[in-house]
Amino acid sequence: MFQYIVKRIFIFIPTLVAITLLGFIISVNAPGDAVERMVQSVSAGGDMGAQSVSIIEQKKEWRAKLGLDLPVFYFSLTSLSRPDTLYRIIDKNEKEALDRLISIYGNWEEIQNYHRSLNTFYLSQISFVPDSNQLKQYDKNKVLETLNQLKSEATALKNTHEKTLIEVKLNKIKTLLAAYPFLESFKPRFEKVKHDFSLLESNASVWKNYIPRIAFYGTKNQYHRWLFGDGGKFSKGLLLHGDFGTSYVTRQPISDVIYSKIGWSLFFSMLSVVLAYLVSIPIGVRAASKRGSRFDKTSSIVLFLLYSMPSFWLATLLLMTFANTDVLSWLPASGVKPALGYPDGASFWEMVKISFPYIILPAICYTYSSFAFLSRTMRVSMLEVVSQDYIRTARAKGLSENKVIWKHGFRNALLPIITVFANVFPAAIGGSVIIESIFTIPGMGSEAIYAIYNNNYPMIIAILTITGFLTLVGYLISDILYALVDPRISYK
Amino acid sequence: MMEEQEINITISDSSHFERSREVNFKKFAWRQFKKNKPAYYSYKILIFLAIVALLSPIIATDQPLYCNYKGVTMFPAFSFSNSCEIKNEDGTKEVLQYDIADWKRLDATSIVFAPIAYAPDKTDYDNADYVSPNGKQIFIDKQGNELPMPLKFKHWLGTGKAGEDVLSGLVNGTRISLSIGLISMTIASILGIFLGAMAGYYGDKKLQTTRGSFWTMVIGIVFAYYYGFSVRSYNITDAFSISGFAVLVQLLISIFIFCLVAFLFYLLGKQIGKISFLNTRVYIPVDSIVSRAIEILISMPLLILIISISAIAKEKSMINVMVIIGLTTWTGIARLTRAEFLRISNLEYIQAAKSMGYKEFRIMFKHALPNALAPALVAIAFGVASAILIESSLSFLGVGVPPTTVTWGSLLNAGREQFSAWWLVVFPGLAIFLTVTIYNLLGEGLRDALDPRLKK
Repeated sequence: MFQYIVKRIFIFIPTLVAITLLGFIISVNAPGDAVERMVQSVSAGGDMGAQSVSIIEQKKEWRAKLGLDLPVFYFSLTSLSRPDTLYRIIDKNEKEALDRLISIYGNWEEIQNYHRSLNTFYLSQISFVPDSNQLKQYDKNKVLETLNQLKSEATALKNTHEKTLIEVKLNKIKTLLAAYPFLESFKPRFEKVKHDFSLLESNASVWKNYIPRIAFYGTKNQYHRWLFGDGGKFSKGLLLHGDFGTSYVTRQPISDVIYSKIGWSLFFSMLSVVLAYLVSIPIGVRAASKRGSRFDKTSSIVLFLLYSMPSFWLATLLLMTFANTDVLSWLPASGVKPALGYPDGASFWEMVKISFPYIILPAICYTYSSFAFLSRTMRVSMLEVVSQDYIRTARAKGLSENKVIWKHGFRNALLPIITVFANVFPAAIGGSVIIESIFTIPGMGSEAIYAIYNNNYPMIIAILTITGFLTLVGYLISDILYALVDPRISYK
Repeated sequence: MMEEQEINITISDSSHFERSREVNFKKFAWRQFKKNKPAYYSYKILIFLAIVALLSPIIATDQPLYCNYKGVTMFPAFSFSNSCEIKNEDGTKEVLQYDIADWKRLDATSIVFAPIAYAPDKTDYDNADYVSPNGKQIFIDKQGNELPMPLKFKHWLGTGKAGEDVLSGLVNGTRISLSIGLISMTIASILGIFLGAMAGYYGDKKLQTTRGSFWTMVIGIVFAYYYGFSVRSYNITDAFSISGFAVLVQLLISIFIFCLVAFLFYLLGKQIGKISFLNTRVYIPVDSIVSRAIEILISMPLLILIISISAIAKEKSMINVMVIIGLTTWTGIARLTRAEFLRISNLEYIQAAKSMGYKEFRIMFKHALPNALAPALVAIAFGVASAILIESSLSFLGVGVPPTTVTWGSLLNAGREQFSAWWLVVFPGLAIFLTVTIYNLLGEGLRDALDPRLKK
């Protein structure tokens, strides 16, 4: 037994690693730029030029904090044409534009030169403040507009990879620069950009794209940092301290968010399992012991229909009927407690009493599908047991039907549905996404949906990883339970 | 039902001896299936739904089926072009754009409308703001007179907030739901049956190769991935902004390149495997690999996984959703096929086929597969039900699916905003419920019919 458990745990490890990798692949390919959002939420609004320098600094800081300035993994499959250092580029769009340029032209040297001269041109622009003397001769607003246009064209140029678009933008900048004589000073830098671009085009080496290469990055990468931390500077690491990183939305540690949200999900999944067991065991046993009776037939049909019932439809129908001022306004429609919270100094039982009406509808929705599943399983397994020889013996002995069913049959029929209990904890983490978001229960399910709406990928990886881990543990526990309950099963 | 037909085809492809036996079993199974009334009626309802889905573009559309306007005969609903030029008597030209023409107020000589004269994504402003099926519906004619709704333009199941016809949405939703079920389960069954068959047939200790060709193959797969997908990654991502079809074409090209490169390396590996030291025999643990992959997928919360994968796709499209559901739900089929192949690979007739010197793949797919399909078929029927549920959950939550596509789930979601519009909640929900029930009943019926052992 012990050996079996150890062996199973060893098999877990690669599976868990694969799960975290899958989560990581998803998060790396996620749209949107986390850093961009972090900085935006810190300082919204304001003039583009004046802010730019401080924003770039802030972006750098957040990138370091979130570990996004590191390569993604220990190694990557790239081409001969791609440099190892592309991940250092801060802006996501800029990085993609460069990568696409490489995939078109394949000559990193020239692309790098072009990118550098473009950057010097761009930086000289955003720090440029026109002299008030120069401005006097011209309409101030028009000058400012031209400058802003120049800035936006230069920014757009950094994010562009298509040849025709680049040429259009270069021409536009050229005409803009010709508008005022004091813009002359930018001309040499601009000419360099143009020159570098034409060099880039003429020296294309596309063949380099077709030669694969594996780039090694060592342990300084995002995945390693996520698992082991970076020595406590920003991240303590998952393996040593259970640190899942920082939420992109609230900037809290993910583990704190999970800790604050898991309560209700755990409550509902425990409650639903207990309720489902309480109702489904008697129904299943009764249906099986009186096979073919009217009770068996009707319960089978009802259970089957319940089993096929989409939970979101049932939830909406229940809300429409019982939480609708036009029909029956018996129960509150959302949340788990009044909008204003519990009254001050409410005791535990008062809190339960206040929350009770909120819990009824979600509890029904949480319970009914597992209830249908459990009853059907219970019926089938009881049917199997009832056809065994020892039940016939028990009957032949003259035992009462009740005793035969409940004492001899029931215990053996329980086996298959023990396993379901192991799924409670993973279900609590994953939460019931749909039910929680319909009833706006502040649990893990609505948190998961919220995270997906907001591209909060650290949260999603955390949910996937924890659920995966708990499911694997659940399998192990149910295997052990099996062996404990049924002496016929041994793991050798 | 497509699945069942596919199976029949594979069966009839079998060798003559097998065919006579299989057809008898097929007949037996069909008789068993017919006896199961709920399953048999589900099958009939499903055929009806499939017909509705196929004909939905001409059942529910605002473009008339036939129209005669100023002497020009048109068939807008069937036409591929989108406009028609009409010459007036005074010589001026008038262009009738099919998709934006106001057909209902057109002075046509004769006009035949579709049974449901509304497109799912267009709105009837005169009956906006949740008009109930039995409520007062109005029609405003060309002169601006308010008339009671003529029967041919009636909104049989009411309208939504902006005046969308609910019945039209339901009919088009049928097409989407059924194609989601069909396509995603086709992907899942190809993957599941192939991987399950490999795992069950070869186990961990049967697929032999030489050390040289094994490592050549490993390197070859890296190369194949590189040329098929890495190099072409921007072609694929750019295709998403064009159309679902373009994505499919690009993906097929990538898969073709992948297979080609892998095959070249396979040939190379055969030669390399002849060199001494590299010609040592090694086993490929197919079963362990497939079982681990299944374990990984089933230990993740399916809905959250699907939602987060479909959330990262840049362009939302139904094709994405189908592919993602297919790639994540093959595990059930693979597990059942694997178990069945484990059993079959030890049977005498497989041993006999081996001793005849048949190729392994021929034994696997021609001799063993037809006998292993029954459990997979049942899993596929249940799989279609869950695929439809997943898709409607996604559109209910509004993630991963294009916001303009009208589906059962999105209609239901619209009904959440206004509970007094019960028709927006009841009918789409009923449609989902009905379809899921049908597939579940079919699955049960198939299980009972195909596996007589279960019937006690």
